[in-house]
Amino acid sequence: MRAYILRRLAQSVLVVWAVTTIMFFMFRVMPADPTAILLERGLTDEARQALLEQWGLTGSMWDQYLAYLGNLIQGDFGSSFFYRKPVWEVLWPLIVNTLWIAIPGLLLGAAIGAAIGTAVGWARRGGKLERSGIFLATVIRGVPNFVIGIALLTIFSSTLGWFPGFGMGDPGATTGFARYFTLDFLHHLALPLIAVIIYFMPENLLLMRSGVVENRTEDYIELVRAKGVPQRRVAWHAARNSMLPLITWLFPALAETIAGIVVIEIVFSWPGVGRELVLAVTRQDYPLAQAAFFLLAVMIVLANLAADLVYGKLDPRVVYK
Amino acid sequence: MAPARTRSPALARDLARLDERLSAKPAAHLKVNGLSIGYSTLRGRFHAVEDVSFEVRAGTNLGLVGESGCGKSTVVKALMGLLPEFTGISGEALLDGQNILGLSDAQLEPIRWNRISLITQSAMNSLDPVYCIGDQICEAILAHEKVGKAVAWARAEEMFALVGLPAERLYEFPHQFSGGMRQRAVIAMALALNAGMLLADEPTTALDPIMQSQIMSRIRGIHEHMRRSMILVTHDIAVVAETCEAVVVMYAGKVAESGPTADVLERPLHPYTMGLQNAFPRLPVRGQPRQPLISIPGTVPNLLLPPSGCRFASRCPFATDLCRTTAPQLHTVGAQSAACHYTERADEFRAAAARPETWRNMRVGA
Repeated sequence: MRAYILRRLAQSVLVVWAVTTIMFFMFRVMPADPTAILLERGLTDEARQALLEQWGLTGSMWDQYLAYLGNLIQGDFGSSFFYRKPVWEVLWPLIVNTLWIAIPGLLLGAAIGAAIGTAVGWARRGGKLERSGIFLATVIRGVPNFVIGIALLTIFSSTLGWFPGFGMGDPGATTGFARYFTLDFLHHLALPLIAVIIYFMPENLLLMRSGVVENRTEDYIELVRAKGVPQRRVAWHAARNSMLPLITWLFPALAETIAGIVVIEIVFSWPGVGRELVLAVTRQDYPLAQAAFFLLAVMIVLANLAADLVYGKLDPRVVYK
Repeated sequence: MAPARTRSPALARDLARLDERLSAKPAAHLKVNGLSIGYSTLRGRFHAVEDVSFEVRAGTNLGLVGESGCGKSTVVKALMGLLPEFTGISGEALLDGQNILGLSDAQLEPIRWNRISLITQSAMNSLDPVYCIGDQICEAILAHEKVGKAVAWARAEEMFALVGLPAERLYEFPHQFSGGMRQRAVIAMALALNAGMLLADEPTTALDPIMQSQIMSRIRGIHEHMRRSMILVTHDIAVVAETCEAVVVMYAGKVAESGPTADVLERPLHPYTMGLQNAFPRLPVRGQPRQPLISIPGTVPNLLLPPSGCRFASRCPFATDLCRTTAPQLHTVGAQSAACHYTERADEFRAAAARPETWRNMRVGA
């Protein structure tokens, strides 16, 4: 088990390195000039040259790469061209903001989806609950997530006025860490969080349902029924066994969902990593964009590792070698 | 999670109380009257079981015999209430006087495992792969008895000892057990609440012959010890001869013959029983000619379009026009009864049926 985790960690480092390298060169081959974004009219050639030197963009591509990698290993992501601050200082609060909608959103989406999926899978085949459950899940799954976001905004923000439409706090609200524990913040959090839940739930629901439908006719379910335990408990056995394929799907799917959260952040103007990532790419802010992609890669790799380990906990038949 | 050796006095006391309460349960009496089971299919009604009646007296074993697809497992599932909800079931099954057919899952909850429990056909797939065996046994105990988890676990340890499995293996998962061990675990589970009625649905079918005889002698030993009532479903007539006081022979969803095992096997009245008997190997008796193995030619009729006469007529070497047109009633001879028009000619049939050429020369499908 320990050897397995160590080996998987080593593999993960390799994957992250590969992603970092590809990102680095992709940004460098883009035909654009990062200094152009500063729009400082009358920027002299000398001043421009000085900026490029300061940003470490003057040496050969190879030298730049080695310097970047060296810094990265020391935990130094460099400084943002645009904000003229260390990347870490820019990203850190954004990461926290993203996690506020991502983690509860994904957990609740998976849990609610799995719960409803179990109910739909356990319901009478061809009955009302089964048909309406599948129908709704399929429709929601087919809707692009920005449409979900816009629909939520239109209904609950513009029309009903129940929730604020953008950002994560009214002007003049508490700042710093304390802001996360204000009602104002939760009020702003609600709609984007609901959007993430709605976006992530249907696939969980459908997968869980098909798992339960498959498992409910298994011999061991018949024996559990024969034992005279409550029906809830019987359904739980089917659900528990259906979680296995769900978990293998769930963690890699997080990657796709993180991409989806980028869109949701933009729709709700939520100041998160995803929104910043898009801005950084358009601004040619290499260090910031690279760091953001690096973070995404690390999250996805760790999610996959977590999937393998959780799977072993859920299914005693799995052996780590 | 107390290991067997170090039970605390309180736990030992609670366990003793549970054991006493459970062993006070009387063996159950079961009377099945006119049980018919059918499925509606696109091509019409499928009669899996038709008008089956039998009785299991308290503390006795009944063998339910027949070839694959004759409906014997369907009868067991109907008694446990495990058939799909759209199944058409009629007739009654009186467990200690209470009809248990047609009850909902909720109504069956206090009856299942508490009064009637099941040893399943395919123990290989009957255990939930993601729970350890001990938890699965405890689940049954905790569903019906107000005891703590530790007491239930201790009871599970006792059941494991009864079937000859070491208590520590309760912590293991089904995939860590061999087929024979899984079957024993399923038996341990079925005994956990000492239900008055045990339904054993081909408990040894999936096992090799050595395991089969070990499991069967285990079941017989437990029966001597606990005196439960049991229905043993099998296609092995030899097992019935060793284990059961009474036997019901089923053919194509109907009762062909029933009665005390000794009578039915000694003097079968129905040609199907005679054929079934010839189809099983017997040890040669010194000084007598070896018994040839004879198989019954043909196959079970299509139950979507059951023949109008006797269902066995197409495979019976003694069938007449009467057999092919009119379904026989049950004829009672002594304690036995058989669904055959010619029970009075049974002696003559038996002599003929023992000769292989009787079966070989008949025109199948006539």
